[in-house]
Amino acid sequence: MSDLPPMTSVKRWLVTTNHKDVGILYIVTALFFLLFGGVMALAFRAHLWEAGGIGLLSGNEFNQAVTAHGLLMVFWFLSPIASGFANYFVPLQIGAKDLAFPRMNALSYWFYLFSGVLIAFSFFQGGAYAGGWTMYAPLNVPTYTPAMEATTGGNATILGLMLFVISITIGTVNFLVTIHRSRAEGLGLWNMPIFTWSWLLTVWMMLFAFAALLAALLLLATDRVFLTQYFAAEQGSSLLWAHLFWFFGHPEVYIVFFPALGIMFETFQTFTGRRLVGRKWVIIAMVLVAVQSFLVWMHHMYLTTINLEIKTLMMATTIGISLPFDLMVFALIYTMVKGRVRFTTPFLFSLGALVLFILGGITGVFLGAVVLDYEFRGTYWVVAHFHYVMVSGVTALVAGLYYWWPKISGKMYSETLGKINFAVYFVGFNLLYFPQFLAWETPRRVFHFAEGAEFYHQLSTVGAFVFGASFLIMFATFAHSYLYGPRAPDNPWEYSRTAEWAVPSPPPLENWTGRPSYRTGNLEFVEDSKAATDGGVAQGEAAAAEVASTHEEDHPDHASIWPLGIGISTFLFFFGLTGITPYIAEFAQGTETPPEGFVGMAGEPNIVYPILTVVGIVAMGYTLFKFGVEQFDVPEMAVAERWPFGGVGNTKFGVWVFLASDVVVFGAVIGAFIFMRLHTGWSDWTTVPFASWPGLLNTYVLLTSSFTVILALVFAERQSKKGLLGAMGATLLLALTFMGVKAYEYGVKFQQGEFWWTGIEYSIYFVTTGLHALHVIFGVLIALFMIYRIVSVDAYLEDHRPVEFFGLYWHFVDIVWVILFPLFYLM
Amino acid sequence: MANVRTYSLIYVALLVLGTGKFAFFEFLTYEMALAGTIVLAVAKILLIAGYYQHLLEEPRSISYMMGLAVFMVFLLTIAAGYSIQ
Repeated sequence: MSDLPPMTSVKRWLVTTNHKDVGILYIVTALFFLLFGGVMALAFRAHLWEAGGIGLLSGNEFNQAVTAHGLLMVFWFLSPIASGFANYFVPLQIGAKDLAFPRMNALSYWFYLFSGVLIAFSFFQGGAYAGGWTMYAPLNVPTYTPAMEATTGGNATILGLMLFVISITIGTVNFLVTIHRSRAEGLGLWNMPIFTWSWLLTVWMMLFAFAALLAALLLLATDRVFLTQYFAAEQGSSLLWAHLFWFFGHPEVYIVFFPALGIMFETFQTFTGRRLVGRKWVIIAMVLVAVQSFLVWMHHMYLTTINLEIKTLMMATTIGISLPFDLMVFALIYTMVKGRVRFTTPFLFSLGALVLFILGGITGVFLGAVVLDYEFRGTYWVVAHFHYVMVSGVTALVAGLYYWWPKISGKMYSETLGKINFAVYFVGFNLLYFPQFLAWETPRRVFHFAEGAEFYHQLSTVGAFVFGASFLIMFATFAHSYLYGPRAPDNPWEYSRTAEWAVPSPPPLENWTGRPSYRTGNLEFVEDSKAATDGGVAQGEAAAAEVASTHEEDHPDHASIWPLGIGISTFLFFFGLTGITPYIAEFAQGTETPPEGFVGMAGEPNIVYPILTVVGIVAMGYTLFKFGVEQFDVPEMAVAERWPFGGVGNTKFGVWVFLASDVVVFGAVIGAFIFMRLHTGWSDWTTVPFASWPGLLNTYVLLTSSFTVILALVFAERQSKKGLLGAMGATLLLALTFMGVKAYEYGVKFQQGEFWWTGIEYSIYFVTTGLHALHVIFGVLIALFMIYRIVSVDAYLEDHRPVEFFGLYWHFVDIVWVILFPLFYLM
Repeated sequence: MANVRTYSLIYVALLVLGTGKFAFFEFLTYEMALAGTIVLAVAKILLIAGYYQHLLEEPRSISYMMGLAVFMVFLLTIAAGYSIQ
């Protein structure tokens, strides 16, 4: 399918892979989740009108509402709306026609949507997860939360988040490849628009941070669904979770805030009519923050038993990270001072964001100091500080909505309504959050508070409703604009400088009629075919840009139903998994050695869940197959700036980026093993495998399969179909042999009455080697598909690159085993 | 890309290195075997990544990116491990 239906057709939105359409889908869906999370907040703020609550919510409902509010706002609203802007505007800003992998982009969106549907469903599956958005151990596992129980809904929340992280990972790979390899001729990194810069750094942070979260969620999901003991062990579990979660969690603050910051920079430039003061230093400061964001995570753990030396070090790095932010704040202020400010609605929201961020930043310094944090941790001070930072980001994102609305909709909005919106928003925000500083002694996530704090809480509740109303005004403003607003010109803002304003509002499907180029220092549109006819040289040679073998004039495809198909089938699979726990519990109780402290399992087994799991797996197989065989043409840009990732194709670079993410996922899981073993005492650890020879045997098997994969590539290059088939077949057989040895090994353990719930050593052994085995299974499926393609259409003889891509993945699986073998079998 | 002979030699080297790890724990003290195994594992990983994944022939920036990912893992593991000492 390649023809894209009109925008008025529902079908268009189900099959589109165009970056602008996907951007709109992201923005609209994120706004829906903003309302969802907002209603939760209004519910518990109303409940907090009196100390002890007014009876609007039960205790557990309050916990669910607070938890869902946090999760929805942080994960399903903040990052996705930024992702929506990035989808729509990054390709436009860098001069690309679309993202590098449009179908993967659509897939990323569908995974996002269905992950949110899982959260919505969780409320009707015995209750959503209720242990707070940070999901601290041991409250996140059933053994220690008999009151909450391991509801199926709780599982749905965790699995929904996992699906969301998978969506983020796909998007991250896509944006990294796009920004690094699809920039218009002459658009070096330094000259990239600052919003695109902020997004580039965001996705780099996402690549590593979300991989750590994925590892944490994998372990948590196995605890909840399969009854492993990662976060239920008597020692070390809560620290393990805190390390994994905050290694992700602190960069997440900047992941959420950077796109907002990028919008602030863009709008300040546009509405002061002045280039950002110290622009290069601002970029360097952002790079520094992105790096430092991975060096401060333990300031969230001052109240745990980690040692004082590391706490002191983290205090220093935390103070250090505020310095680049100071530079950015002063750059914004000086840009205003040096320019001539036009108080339009987007600028007002951006300015408001700056004011709120300064307050949020200063109050955060208190929490960065070990001694002060002992007092403030777990109080409303944290709640207020956190919201001043995060919701200042929301404020800038609203600025982005107003700034780019004319470009997206083709209509101008009413400035009067926009300014009323800002006034109500700003008053509501401060009425909601500032009193929380004054009521700071209130413990967070609890609906009981001291009598004296009642006034502040009531102010806060009133503020919440005023703040909520401001969003209704925002929606009304946009609706009014869409229905009655005058047509927007290409560029409604006098001093906007970025490329999206050089095309019509809204932009055409493929963005440009000519090829955008910055070779002369200004944006120009080049007609390549005309230049060639005139005897001109290829533009890229002169500009040292790389010329790819494909041609610009190839017509790209824009529609595929299979991303949606994969999204639905993956949703069914995950939804089915949410209700598997009772079956695992039943199985465990049937063995001679069921887990100890067997409390709080989900209710009665429901056959619907296993059926859905199986249906999901079958549907995934079918839709992935159809995705794999679909003809979908996405030509690489013929002329583009690709530093520092030139000399490697888009897909190969994408595979490498994915592998970098997988290194962190596996690394975090292996790190969890080392951490727990250190915590237990290195030499006190029980070695689980019954002997080391199966590990050695599998080492030989896997190394041999690596050799056969490389032979497959050699045969593909020689265009030898028989050789290619033989080498791929041998790889497949070796992979199955590996799985056979693994199955034998597991079988011996089961016969000895030792399962994954037997103890932390067993959980770690089964989960880590199981995750590796899962990678082997994925490899087997890919190899089977490739063999089918070789047999049916003589694939990979003309273009052997897919064999190389598969090899990259397979060798990575081998490398992981190089580490796992000594760790589990020898040490 | 390297030729079949080079790939074969590396394959043999990988088998030898893999066996070496096993042998270390049979014949050396635990500490020595631990240190030796780490060295052999690093050598194996470099051989696979460098020659089988052709990292040596890719732009250096790919190696830096993968190195950054490995650094992240070490950062998390070592800092977390140190925090409980």
